Amino acid sequence: MAETGPLTRIAVARLIFLGLCLALIYARLLPLETVPRTLVMPDILLALTLSWVARRPAYVPALLIAAVFLLADLMFQRPPGLWTALVLLLTEALRRRAAELRGLTFLLEWTTVAVCIVAVFFGYRLALALTMLPPPPLVPYLVQMVMTILAYPVVTGLCYLLLGLRRPAPGAVEAYGQKL
Amino acid sequence: MAKDRRSQEDYAGPTRRLLVGLLVMVMLAFFLVWRIDSPRVERFRAEVVDRVVPSFEWVMAPVRAAAHLVADFQSYQRLAQQNQDLRRELQQMKAWREAALQLEQENAKLRDLNDVRLDPKLTFVTGVVLTDSGSPFRQSVLLNVGSRDGILDGWAAMDGLGLVGRISGVGDDTARVILLTDTTSRIPVTIQPSGQRAILSGDNTINPLLDFIEDPDQVRPGDRVVTSGDGGVFPPDLLVGQVALGSDQRLRLRLSADYERLEFLRVLRNQGAEPITDTGALIAPEDIAGPSAPAEGTDALAQGGEDG
Repeated sequence: MAETGPLTRIAVARLIFLGLCLALIYARLLPLETVPRTLVMPDILLALTLSWVARRPAYVPALLIAAVFLLADLMFQRPPGLWTALVLLLTEALRRRAAELRGLTFLLEWTTVAVCIVAVFFGYRLALALTMLPPPPLVPYLVQMVMTILAYPVVTGLCYLLLGLRRPAPGAVEAYGQKL
Repeated sequence: MAKDRRSQEDYAGPTRRLLVGLLVMVMLAFFLVWRIDSPRVERFRAEVVDRVVPSFEWVMAPVRAAAHLVADFQSYQRLAQQNQDLRRELQQMKAWREAALQLEQENAKLRDLNDVRLDPKLTFVTGVVLTDSGSPFRQSVLLNVGSRDGILDGWAAMDGLGLVGRISGVGDDTARVILLTDTTSRIPVTIQPSGQRAILSGDNTINPLLDFIEDPDQVRPGDRVVTSGDGGVFPPDLLVGQVALGSDQRLRLRLSADYERLEFLRVLRNQGAEPITDTGALIAPEDIAGPSAPAEGTDALAQGGEDG
């Protein structure tokens, strides 16, 4: 990919992101879990999106996030739009801090993202309470939140190893000479 | 450098922020529309699911098959133990089979005497499970039969043995089944030998709760539970499961249907019992039993009958 321009590179990265998200949505839809479990799976879709936004914001435009999460809302029987709106707000906040995150250690990046995840989970519950919708049962909900926070390093590590998604070094420039 | 970056952001910022803000507003508006007019948006959702899911069936089939293969392989490890259990069960079943044969003969004889006809409307459509709900907080599955096959909202879905759930949301080629374990599921049931009525309410565990039992002292763990047909939601006398005492000392239900493996489900065609709306007219010549009959009185009577 060395000779391809940065625009092609970004387009390919966006396609990969879209493909990963679709695969995750379909993996969760597979009818393998028809029995309610106590150990709830983490929301890997959220962890993946946050990881990409924190590391390479240019690869995940807001419109793509909105499309993917709206599809997920519709497929997963959630109130459509609410989770999407919260995730959009969250990723925008994270995107603005992406430049600062780049210089930090991974532990600090993880902490920032963890705060974001807690915010989106509680924001969702608050919004459900405000609109008088029955919220999901509390204990599995909190378990899922913690599991998502724990899944973040795993997802980030896998993306780093398999896809080579790494943070741009401070002062790195793209092929056209613009600062990243 | 940091200053440089700030100025660059400010220069591209406002338009972008405005557009993203607009996007968020659109999403929230969609949510509010759903909150206000849920049925319309739910129909839209059913259409989207209807469009998206069947196109990926070819991906799902091999993955599902592989997963089941793994599950099968795991069960081989317990083969000897299972063999023992099955032998013991077979012994018991043989005894039951004898009893059943005798009863069947007796039943046939009695039916013959009575000239009973079984309800021809109670037929079923079988569908394959395509997906589950994808959320740990909701228990539902999607079938590959829909309004094209004449499926209607509210029909009962069973596996070979017991009740599994209720149709809720029908697309053209797909239909969603809310399982009995979902938190929104409420089914009127009868507990068999004592005839107690109860409501089976799902609470996101594998053993749903038996609520509103008239006299809990008459109910024992092990009692059979069938649908009661109250409210006209389900046909009566579909097997649901057995009463069990939960670890929290509340009466729960051990479901007869095999929730570990929902692959094929039967959707029972149920046209519902025909309601009797009037008290019946007087049989008399036209000129007497005509329009002069007190219409309001009969209406009030009919409503009273429905309430009671």
